[in-house]
Amino acid sequence: MGSQAVTNVQAGAAGTGRTREVETHPHSPKLELVNSSKREKILEGMLEAVGAEGYDGTSVRTVLARTGLYRQAFYDEFADKDSCYLAALEMGIERLEEVVGRAAASEESWRGKLRAGLGALLDRLDEDPDFGRGVIVEVHAAGPEALSRRAEALKKAADFIDLARLDSDDGEAPPQIAPEGIVAGIHAIVHSRLSTGATDGFRGLLPEFMYFAVLPYFGVEAASAEMQAARA
Amino acid sequence: MDSPSTSNPEAPLDRQDAPLDRHGLPRAYAIRNERERLMEAMVRVSAAKGYEATTVADVVEYAGADQDTFEEIFGDKETCFLETYEAVFDVLIAHVTAAFEGAAGERWPEQIAAGLRALVELLSMEADIARMAMVEVTATAGDDARERYRAMFARFTPFFEQGRDYADADAELPADTARFAIGGAASMIFDEVRAGRGPELKRILPDLVFAVLMPYLGPEAAEDEMRRVTREG
Repeated sequence: MGSQAVTNVQAGAAGTGRTREVETHPHSPKLELVNSSKREKILEGMLEAVGAEGYDGTSVRTVLARTGLYRQAFYDEFADKDSCYLAALEMGIERLEEVVGRAAASEESWRGKLRAGLGALLDRLDEDPDFGRGVIVEVHAAGPEALSRRAEALKKAADFIDLARLDSDDGEAPPQIAPEGIVAGIHAIVHSRLSTGATDGFRGLLPEFMYFAVLPYFGVEAASAEMQAARA
Repeated sequence: MDSPSTSNPEAPLDRQDAPLDRHGLPRAYAIRNERERLMEAMVRVSAAKGYEATTVADVVEYAGADQDTFEEIFGDKETCFLETYEAVFDVLIAHVTAAFEGAAGERWPEQIAAGLRALVELLSMEADIARMAMVEVTATAGDDARERYRAMFARFTPFFEQGRDYADADAELPADTARFAIGGAASMIFDEVRAGRGPELKRILPDLVFAVLMPYLGPEAAEDEMRRVTREG
């Protein structure tokens, strides 16, 4: 399916040529939006549709209706809804990681990076809860492969959080499970809000998320101070 | 259509557990019985095949019931699944409550650890229940399903009320602390069960104890509780 799609891509592209080649520079998201290829349009449409209507409620037709593309354009790129969603999930996770990574890069310390990265993630959810639902909630309806991708992304987040271990005093380092517990707990709160439609004010969760993440590595005082700082 | 109170000689499966005393019992009893068998079948089938792949026909066949009865009692697959889920959750909550109250007089962290122990013991013995209630339920779709799912987990919240008294006096606990603790534990159990390690769920009991108590007690005291639970085996 994938390799066949490459050869067919020109058929629907009416002279504009190789739409796939618009792999933009990773640090220029604006450019990426402007040049948004047909494939990306479909993937974005897929995430939005799944986020708004649920995985079960989404069909190839709903995705096409959102993108204004013809049926052939979809099947040039994807074999079916499931494989399209997997690609869309991949894109969604990468974009979230990019947003978080960019915000974190401007900070020096672990706490600064965490605050900036989490803040950017929450802002993104506030901007576009359907996108968040498409990636974070509906992934559960999309089968084992999608769940494995989800597990990988959560593991990556836990690995980042556990960098705090390097800064915490030797005797005070928490058990190995700490980062996984932090990510699981934060994820559960976000998931619950997204899935029950309480989708305003994600940003307001930043202070408590900072508290939960700082607490196991640096103790109650540091966590409380961090919560206050994040409120400011 | 067959009345559920008469046994069907053409039942598709050779059920060994067909109740002997179904004839002549009041219809309400028969329906309840039929209902329970369908719910039992839903647990088994959805755990084995996954929620998505499960069909009403599978459940009906497993239960040795008929489609009309299923429709009369539940209407559709999702309703049956969610009612089964809630019934299963009643059992989980009852089990955890018994353990928590059985440890009354102990310190709150010990009561929580006792409740968690009861939970993982039950889930590790009942692989299908674990799969159904901790993993497959997340595949149900729609706002109603999600709300019911959320409501079930909220039933664990009362166990955490005393936790605030154990927190550092100067610390102001975040509003979502119970959700963080419960959601974190549920997610850790989800990962284990999904990876096929449900039967060995007891191995992560110390981790669960730490993750659940940490937001209330802080890392050091939570680690002490974790060690205590590890020693107890």
